[in-house]
Amino acid sequence: MGILRGGGEEMSAEEIMQKFQEAGYEVWVKEREAGVKNKVKRKSVWIKVDREKIRDAVEYLTELAEEYPHFSIISASDEGDEVELNYHFTLGYGKLLEEFVVTFKVALPKSDLKIKSITNLIPAAIFSEREMREMMGVEFEELPDKRHLFLTKDFPDGVYPWRRDETAPKETNKLYEGWKK
Amino acid sequence: MKYEVPIGPIHPALKEPIMLKFTLEGERIVDVDVIASQNHRGIEWIGMNRNNPVQSIYLSERICGICNFCHPACLVMAVEEAAGIESPERAEYIRVIQGELERIHSHLLWAGVAAHELGFDSLLHYVWMVREKVMDILELINGNRVTKAIIMYGGVRRDIKDEHIPKIKRMLDYYKQAFGKLAKLFLEDKTIKMRTREIGILPYEEAIKLATVGPTVRASGVKKDVRQDMPYFAYPDFEVKAITPDMLTGETIGDTYDRIIVRLLEVKQSIEIIEQALDEMPPGDILAEPKIIKLINQIKKAEGEAVARYEAPRGEDIHYVKLKSGFEYLYAWKVRAPTYINILSWRPMLLDMQIADIPIVAASIDPCLSCTNRVVIVRNNKEEILTADDLHRLSVKKTRRLLR
Repeated sequence: MGILRGGGEEMSAEEIMQKFQEAGYEVWVKEREAGVKNKVKRKSVWIKVDREKIRDAVEYLTELAEEYPHFSIISASDEGDEVELNYHFTLGYGKLLEEFVVTFKVALPKSDLKIKSITNLIPAAIFSEREMREMMGVEFEELPDKRHLFLTKDFPDGVYPWRRDETAPKETNKLYEGWKK
Repeated sequence: MKYEVPIGPIHPALKEPIMLKFTLEGERIVDVDVIASQNHRGIEWIGMNRNNPVQSIYLSERICGICNFCHPACLVMAVEEAAGIESPERAEYIRVIQGELERIHSHLLWAGVAAHELGFDSLLHYVWMVREKVMDILELINGNRVTKAIIMYGGVRRDIKDEHIPKIKRMLDYYKQAFGKLAKLFLEDKTIKMRTREIGILPYEEAIKLATVGPTVRASGVKKDVRQDMPYFAYPDFEVKAITPDMLTGETIGDTYDRIIVRLLEVKQSIEIIEQALDEMPPGDILAEPKIIKLINQIKKAEGEAVARYEAPRGEDIHYVKLKSGFEYLYAWKVRAPTYINILSWRPMLLDMQIADIPIVAASIDPCLSCTNRVVIVRNNKEEILTADDLHRLSVKKTRRLLR
């Protein structure tokens, strides 16, 4: 697999959607209009991925894309029993009005918050994975650097600021007792 | 023999707190480690746990004082998409004008900082004097130079009035005249050329691999600009083209000099965009829903998620927002500022360079870190952290001591 260039050809959002559907993933596309005189559609492709398959999915995206997929960020939300990770990529830059966002959605059960690191494929993901590790408590296997990124070195273990359960920081809430709850 | 030189967390060469650990062999840099966690303000946490979505707009202005339009604009874009709010046409044009005014002032601010890092302080003062013109216009149309509180879900809060337009046009004329002089000062000066040509090179492949954004990636020859690739607001009307250094010099090296070229040309591009926007701005409303309570309720009822991308002066801002029906705050909010991803490119840029190049190379990505909320004291190799409260206590103590 070429790491600097994607292996494929120029693709539209619909073609990427079709390819991933054929490979057995659940895919949906969202659109939003922009522009006043010249109306265009901003597109985003959302793909549901099982956690075992995250590396396969990133690799497949690199194979399909004409240029190396541009990694943006991993975002997360606490969904009760699960933590949901969103891997955002952008594809098709350099051409007028043709870029779109591809998001891999991965749900991890809270009883086993583990996923393979994608830093071997996308080196730029290292900051984001370190951040998700400290903020959400997700363990990234084979992550080369497991230091804290934004929180201090002495931040207590087992406290994850972005969770909405008992592991959320209670002391911080105390700071804001004067605020309406 | 190898030795380590720490630069930061607080250092005269850095305007904001971050720590760089360099491993050196003589003058040559052989390894760079970035330690970012110097202060974290938990802005996303506040947006997810304390503020209602409208309050979060003003909070996101404070993510970065310089990009104080970009972050709220990006948040608004994400929430509008998730909640299905449309904004009037005139508002979309005003948003473009605000964004480009910000790009002009930010790039000029950077140009001054770059001149200062090279020890060229007369140029710093000249550039910042030139910058004052755009700051005056920002004050005129917004009532404030920074943290302008202009954007709102479904529009903008203040109109650009007819009496503002001649003043803005006069400013644009001033910049057109000043541009030639600035370009000459920055691009033809022998000292600047010697200090920046072939210094801090980021090759095309590395720029792609490290997912770099903004002027940093464009200076390496990658034609990537959100305004061109995936336009938002009224940008599709302007057909913006990504600027790469070969447009001026015919070649792309990807060094610090190229990053100066890209930013200078982008100032010129912004002037053209504002001119066109002022001429073509449609009349009409500027806000879809003026009643804030109604708006908050509408967002509270909405359910959905969205990713928004915005081309800020430093690169691409990304905000991910998730809304849950009946939930008072943003259910999930992730902010990715351009420096977050651009910091990674310091390593390839700085390897094999000299210590004296650190300030200008570090400054060449236009880093924008957050500002102080605590201080780290290193005493006898042990680190102690002082919080804002500790600092306040110390300050009170000193005042009392002086009063005695």
